[in-house]
Amino acid sequence: MPKPCANCATNTAAIVRPKDRSALCKPCFFTIFETEIHHTITSTNLFARGERIAIGASGGKDSTVLASVLKTLNERYDYGVDLILLSIDEGIKGYRDDSLETVKQNAKEYGMELTILGYRELYGWTMDQVVEQVGKKGNCTYCGVFRRQALDRGAARLGVKHVVTGHNADDVAETVLMNLLRGDLPRLSRTTSIVTSTPSAASSTDPNSHTNIKRSKPLKYAYEKEIVLYALHKNLTYFSTECIYSPEAFRGSARALIKNLERVRPSAILDVVRSGEDMAKLCPGSDEGCGGACSNSVPVAEEEEGGCGSSNGRTAGGEMAGVEKQLAQNEVAAETGLEIEITSNGTNGTKTNAVPVVNGKKGKKNKGQSQPARKAVPKQVMGQCKKCGYLSSQEVCKACTLLDGLNKNRPKNSIEVGYDEAQEDAKLNDAISEVKKLEVGP
Amino acid sequence: MRAYDCQDCGGAAFPEIHHHQQPWLPFRYSTVDYQNILSVSAGTMPGKHVDDGASEPCRRCKENTAVLVVRSEPLCRDCFTRYVHTKAVKRLESFRVRNAALDHQRKFLLALSFGVSSVTLLHVLDHLLQTQRGKTGRTGFAVDVVFVEVPGATVLKDGTLAEAQKAYPDFGYASLPLHDIFLQTSDPGLSSLVPNLIPEDSSSPSEKLTSLIASLTSATARADVISTLTTRLIVEHAKATGCEGILWGDSTTKLAEKTLSETAKGRGFSLPWRTSDGDSPLGLTFNYPLRDVLKKELVSAKQASMSSKNTTIDDLMRNYFEEVETNFPSIVSNVVRTTGKLETPSVPASKSRCDLCSMPVLDGRFGIHGWGGDQQDGSEVLSVQTGPKLCYGCTRSIPQNTTG
Repeated sequence: MPKPCANCATNTAAIVRPKDRSALCKPCFFTIFETEIHHTITSTNLFARGERIAIGASGGKDSTVLASVLKTLNERYDYGVDLILLSIDEGIKGYRDDSLETVKQNAKEYGMELTILGYRELYGWTMDQVVEQVGKKGNCTYCGVFRRQALDRGAARLGVKHVVTGHNADDVAETVLMNLLRGDLPRLSRTTSIVTSTPSAASSTDPNSHTNIKRSKPLKYAYEKEIVLYALHKNLTYFSTECIYSPEAFRGSARALIKNLERVRPSAILDVVRSGEDMAKLCPGSDEGCGGACSNSVPVAEEEEGGCGSSNGRTAGGEMAGVEKQLAQNEVAAETGLEIEITSNGTNGTKTNAVPVVNGKKGKKNKGQSQPARKAVPKQVMGQCKKCGYLSSQEVCKACTLLDGLNKNRPKNSIEVGYDEAQEDAKLNDAISEVKKLEVGP
Repeated sequence: MRAYDCQDCGGAAFPEIHHHQQPWLPFRYSTVDYQNILSVSAGTMPGKHVDDGASEPCRRCKENTAVLVVRSEPLCRDCFTRYVHTKAVKRLESFRVRNAALDHQRKFLLALSFGVSSVTLLHVLDHLLQTQRGKTGRTGFAVDVVFVEVPGATVLKDGTLAEAQKAYPDFGYASLPLHDIFLQTSDPGLSSLVPNLIPEDSSSPSEKLTSLIASLTSATARADVISTLTTRLIVEHAKATGCEGILWGDSTTKLAEKTLSETAKGRGFSLPWRTSDGDSPLGLTFNYPLRDVLKKELVSAKQASMSSKNTTIDDLMRNYFEEVETNFPSIVSNVVRTTGKLETPSVPASKSRCDLCSMPVLDGRFGIHGWGGDQQDGSEVLSVQTGPKLCYGCTRSIPQNTTG
């Protein structure tokens, strides 16, 4: 006797829903999945009628499902929004080439306008070239920083004020745990917010400025497994690959933990997201207070947001071993009283992108100083990058700083590249496939 | 309990415990299945041992031979013991004699699970009190010890408590069955969680507990509810016996585990109350004197792995941090420091509290419905009013019937 669908009780159940293990038929699963996203959108007043919205499309499952569901919902509930696709080409051979083909196909199927922007035209560097220059270690910092701006710049170019991305509940939960592990409360408090934005700096009057783009993640509460099931049963075309450059680090560790938690208790992913929203209210200096429950937006710049397009990427957080080393040094310094406290009110940015400097115990050593009971997490003051005008807490934004470093070494490099680009590429790809073989583990 | 041969010295040892590796303990603690008993958990990975021939000198005293490597420092037994003591005593600054009024003896309750952490804390406290008495002729505080018996968990060997009492005779001891929680508190909310309980029911406390635990559907939920009730019983006992606060044995590692597992159970809202020193909303102070000591520094025993079917979120986090602790000990400490930075919400005067964990629930956000991640579309939200009031995390463990 086949099991009937738990929702309609007429059809035969075909799908066990990962979120709560209920048995559903295909049409009911589709409806419930879509309705939940509709609920997310309406309860947070995410869209405005007449708004033009760019979907950050990577060709992966998340953005493909996002495009499909938004198209469906826009027609079903008449949101009255204009949806277009925006893709970024990082210039990674064998990764983006194929996935961009997928995006092109999606654009045709959904009848959406598509714009592809390359790192090469935006920054003068493809990721393959960056890797050649800086090596595999740390290149994800470049990719992440560049991508963040690339979507905003692309949106500005298209006259679009709102970009939606395919970040799902697993991504958000993973980021919550990751930021707990590396001790980054400001990021923890921002990550659960459904809307992040780069509000225009005071001086910006240019309507096409890329400093006033709203970012949101309508799939914030959608499980990755359900996204895969939706794509699979809807026969959506998506490209499944992982970035060939992503190394192991915090996010990988947090990701594995989330998967194990889901196995023990399916609601755990959602529960971590809920905890993250609640903890955002407890973060010192937090004024958002609602963790995305209300639709106010959290200013954010140069922020990493849960992974690369492959949703398995590494970001500026650094390797666990590196962070461990730094923390261990801080501990030793604190114990031996050698610690020099770096205050962040200097003229130049003292903030590094890795782990916030952890202050040692306030022991008897610094009795003379007056100390607040609790160390307030310094609030970022947003200004504009002197070079490109992008919203930044520093004088020069991260992208421009990274580009400066790259360009300084360019002459030597460009000769090599110009000399025999094909051969270099072949060498690089050989090396990568070697490393990939080594990396295949349990 | 059967004795095994210690793998290192060949002497008799309790299962998987190398007794000579806990140099500060005068009696052997037993490996009861206390994972569900208290918020203190079982031992795990061995601290790195210097047993491969080439014995290094102790980095601190430079005289004796090192027996352990602690945070990349080879230490001898004495220096290691001092290291643990110092870390704990540093956390007990406010317990000094000078802070104690002459006419009033401050009293604290130590929650003892007979796990390595709480036994170590017992030892540290005894040592501290003796030092205080030796120096000033009086002590800054007094300690009572309580052990909670949990049904289903392996029972303590007869006489274990007496053994502890003999080793540390200065403390007052009590052992309470977990079901006493139904006697200790008159909270009607708690009884309302017992399924099919008619008012005026003559069920004994033990029957109530059995029926409550039996109604839970997962290992995670059972472990969660048992540890919540245990905490509440310890709090009630502390209040009833005039203790001003509770001393918990949680190590850095345990607090990091708790941070992530309570986050995973949807209790992010109450994290500061569960991990930081100071006033607890349960009405007295909580102290975690071992918060700066890693678990691997306390234990050198490896625990048998358990079946995956009955794995709980707490187990998962224990295993996770066992791994992290081995290679990245500072990251474990960093997690605890990070939760320590969360601000403790002010408790509003109108006490709306969770019936199970008794934590304040702000803005009446009971249950799992009525937020952005709610799976139901807002329609069935208000049915919660009739049943017991549970916070988000407790609702996950004791699901409420939506039919009312």
